[in-house]
Amino acid sequence: MAHNTPTLPDEPVIRDAAPVALPAVDAPLSQLPAWKEYQLVLFRIAFIFFIALSVPNSVEWYQQLVQLDWTQLNYRDLYDIARFGSGINFLGNTIFGSSLLGYANWITTALIATAGGLVWTGIVKARKLPRKEYYTAWYWLRVVVRYRAGIGIIGFGFTKLLPVQMPYPSFGILNTNFGDLTAQKIYWLSIGIVPWYQVFAGVVEVTAGALLFFRKTTTLGAVLLFAALGDIVYVNFAYDGGVHVYSSYFVLLAALLLVNDVPKIYRLLVQERFTVPVNYYPVFPERWQRYTRIGLKSATIFLFLGVLFYLQLINFLYDPYKQPSVAGVKELRGNYQVTEFRLNDQVIPYSPLDTVRWQEATFENWSTFTYRVNKPHPLDLSNGGGDPQRDVNRTFEITGLAGGQRAFHYYADEVNKVLYLEDKYKPIPDRRNRTAGVGGDGGVVVDKAAEKAAREEAAKSAKDWIPAAIRKNIGDESLKIAPIALSARRAKDYAAAPAWENRKRFTVKYSTSDGSHVILTGVDENKNNIYVVLDRINREYTLTPSTLQAGKY
Amino acid sequence: MSNVTIGETPAWKDYEKIGFRVIFIYFVLQALPLDWKFYSYLFSTPIFNLHYEDIFNLANYTMRFGAGPATYADWGILLIIAVAGAVVWTYADGQRTRTYDAAFYWLRVILRYRLALALLAYGFLKLYALQAPYPSLSSLNTPYGDFNRWKLFSLSLGIVPSYELFLGGVEIFLAVLLLIRKTASIGAFMFLIFCGNVFMSNLAYEGGDQVYSLLLITYAFVIFSFDLQRIVRLLILQKPTAAATFKPAFEGIRKNGRWILKTAFLLFFVVIYGVKTGVGAKYDPYQYPTTKGLPAISGLYNVATFVVNGDTLAYSLTDSLRWRNVVFEEWNTISIRTNKPALVDSNNQHLVKRDNAERLYEIEGTSGRHYYSYAADTTQHLLTLQNRHPKLSAETLSLHYSRPDNNRVILTGTTYSRDSIYVILEKVNKKYLLEEVANGGGRNRKLKL
Repeated sequence: MAHNTPTLPDEPVIRDAAPVALPAVDAPLSQLPAWKEYQLVLFRIAFIFFIALSVPNSVEWYQQLVQLDWTQLNYRDLYDIARFGSGINFLGNTIFGSSLLGYANWITTALIATAGGLVWTGIVKARKLPRKEYYTAWYWLRVVVRYRAGIGIIGFGFTKLLPVQMPYPSFGILNTNFGDLTAQKIYWLSIGIVPWYQVFAGVVEVTAGALLFFRKTTTLGAVLLFAALGDIVYVNFAYDGGVHVYSSYFVLLAALLLVNDVPKIYRLLVQERFTVPVNYYPVFPERWQRYTRIGLKSATIFLFLGVLFYLQLINFLYDPYKQPSVAGVKELRGNYQVTEFRLNDQVIPYSPLDTVRWQEATFENWSTFTYRVNKPHPLDLSNGGGDPQRDVNRTFEITGLAGGQRAFHYYADEVNKVLYLEDKYKPIPDRRNRTAGVGGDGGVVVDKAAEKAAREEAAKSAKDWIPAAIRKNIGDESLKIAPIALSARRAKDYAAAPAWENRKRFTVKYSTSDGSHVILTGVDENKNNIYVVLDRINREYTLTPSTLQAGKY
Repeated sequence: MSNVTIGETPAWKDYEKIGFRVIFIYFVLQALPLDWKFYSYLFSTPIFNLHYEDIFNLANYTMRFGAGPATYADWGILLIIAVAGAVVWTYADGQRTRTYDAAFYWLRVILRYRLALALLAYGFLKLYALQAPYPSLSSLNTPYGDFNRWKLFSLSLGIVPSYELFLGGVEIFLAVLLLIRKTASIGAFMFLIFCGNVFMSNLAYEGGDQVYSLLLITYAFVIFSFDLQRIVRLLILQKPTAAATFKPAFEGIRKNGRWILKTAFLLFFVVIYGVKTGVGAKYDPYQYPTTKGLPAISGLYNVATFVVNGDTLAYSLTDSLRWRNVVFEEWNTISIRTNKPALVDSNNQHLVKRDNAERLYEIEGTSGRHYYSYAADTTQHLLTLQNRHPKLSAETLSLHYSRPDNNRVILTGTTYSRDSIYVILEKVNKKYLLEEVANGGGRNRKLKL
């Protein structure tokens, strides 16, 4: 085995000598090689295109930035700063009426950038001031893209690093058959069941973003970003996840950041030639310039790695994103079998085919009650995301899920033992991800006029369904989480809650001693008298829960 | 070979040489098929009519000292052998050897081909969506919480054949990069990202391929390490960087031999294996049994009537005897949902078997349904059922069946616990949200189900 390499005459090797003199890299601008004409033109187009893609294009983004209450931040405030729509959109986001899977905006932007780049070239030529290179502008374009991509992916990554983007399935979801879920839901759940893996994915994304903040680690960050988000693009297409445009966006930005490096790697490894990297970095002669640079950089890192981590941690602990935040009634928790079910004093025996009788019921750890009934009902096929603060609007437990599973948010009057239940399903969903623009997560398009009409309709028929005296017993839901997690956004969202939302509602009295045996009596959403006996069962799941659990219940 | 220049690369330091000897012996022992068990498998197969399942299993064989799958203990034993070997080698060499450039080259060749082999073996299974097949009807009718993590991982991949195809395509592409010397490091680096994720998934989902995926990662590290310093210097430190100075030169018989071996490898593991897998995907997918079930019977059935020893039992979600629903698969499997959880087959290894009885994917990792395979005697109208769980294979029962119309099946007979049963099954026209959305134009619409 240990043959002596140099003495073998027919050793199948050739050795080259390395060049002795090493050219310098830190050359001043004037000594760097000039660009070719096509590179100059391409650069002008790319410059316009990528600047347009790096600047927020919706008025709402600027509004929310100005209105931000920096003393009572919510993680979503910074998330929304990091996640914005971009591209040239004053011509709309469609081409000939088609959104081209959401990419129409890119194409419009690319066309305008091309036109702009050509005009720019024309002006340069007409003024007879020929440019030989754009090293400085190229450096600054890269800075803009690096920070845009870095901040964006960190905002995204933190909801995984502190795993709230994909919640662990609730009892109601665990009891739902696999085939009664959408593909999108199945993918989200497959990550939700392994929070530690979600943490890992978050670490990858946040690391990729953080590496983009530094010149020397930009390449590594861009490679990570390209690989991770490239996979996510494909996942979104395959599972109809709806975030394909936004994930492609990062792939595109990462690709730009790798433009310099691909030829170098090709030269070094494939052509096996001596390679000199040309990376122009401007020098900052003035002290204020250096301070500004360090100040801006530190502020970005402090805000998006420090403050956002803290806010996201608070969110994970007390107010997890898609999962309702307020604890459910303590004794009412778990899986229940429906032992007896009377509708208008008529006992209805269990049958899997019956379209009225409840088959099984759950009280979740938070303020949700669910039951299953063999009757088709309209579904919410969105991904349950967005930025709802109110528990009733946190719909992960019903989105993308059929099988007759109904979920109700409840307000509990624990003095009189009455539950006030509101359907989590709403025919006209709220607008979500206001600042995200193009590249949002799909879902039903919001029709504001229809929503207003529905609300007026609801207002006509209903007086406040919870009497004022009872509201005192229930308390203010917005304050029912740990005080450290309260935020201006939460207060605002609760205060702005529309009084007459078009939802199904019902009220039941519950009587129980310890929650193992519960009797519900009242009038259901269809105005029938119901009498339901629930008995808690110890439902064993094969799926093992994680050690990491969001929320405090 | 007049153009050989010797002595231009710096001599290796002593510790580098000693370290290399350990690494060399360790990885050669890991990567080459030196285990007798490999050959006992090889010679137990019809060598001139190899099935894709056999090629897969042989391609992924690793050295193991126990009977079961490879463990980290196997690595430890090999490492001890490698250290001992390196001591002897160092003594014999007396540190006369200047460098091990050539040996390193050959070690990389072995690992490149070994890694490419693993990638091709897995890549084609994914390319044809064999590894994670579309969920069975029984799985679609099992509650989410009644699967373990590993099964959910696999089912979740199984619903999107297009994504599986993409992953398979990436694996095959990486294999090609590894087979070309000049792109091997790029391929190895991309593999580290790709398989790093596979390894983390195995940890998180409690999968059974943790050891193997980490082994492949170590191979990729060795391959990549050749260019690591250069790449760090060029891209991170951003300094001028010299290319590798070591290039293999093949002349005369070596040149031809190299091309013959290389072509043979590609012919066998890309062309022949690729075609065999493609044919297998159509006629003999390995995850589900391939014996046909009764004609036109597959579907979900409600248990409309259930009589035990003359007593008719009403629908119940608590009774320990009554069945809730039954699924007939396209193949000869019946699954029954009762109120008792089934014994979970917790195998988490990826097994590629040719025998239908050993193709247990449908029962793995779930407690939701009781699975039976059946043999149908169509003249006597008799079904002989056998529990599919390897530990419960003694549980057999014979049931007479009749099919009064297309939507009903009546079963009569005696259960394993000697109860006589009479069961009327009625087909449910079940619509699955998964399919309604996938086939009906996505999520951006109103749907009532």
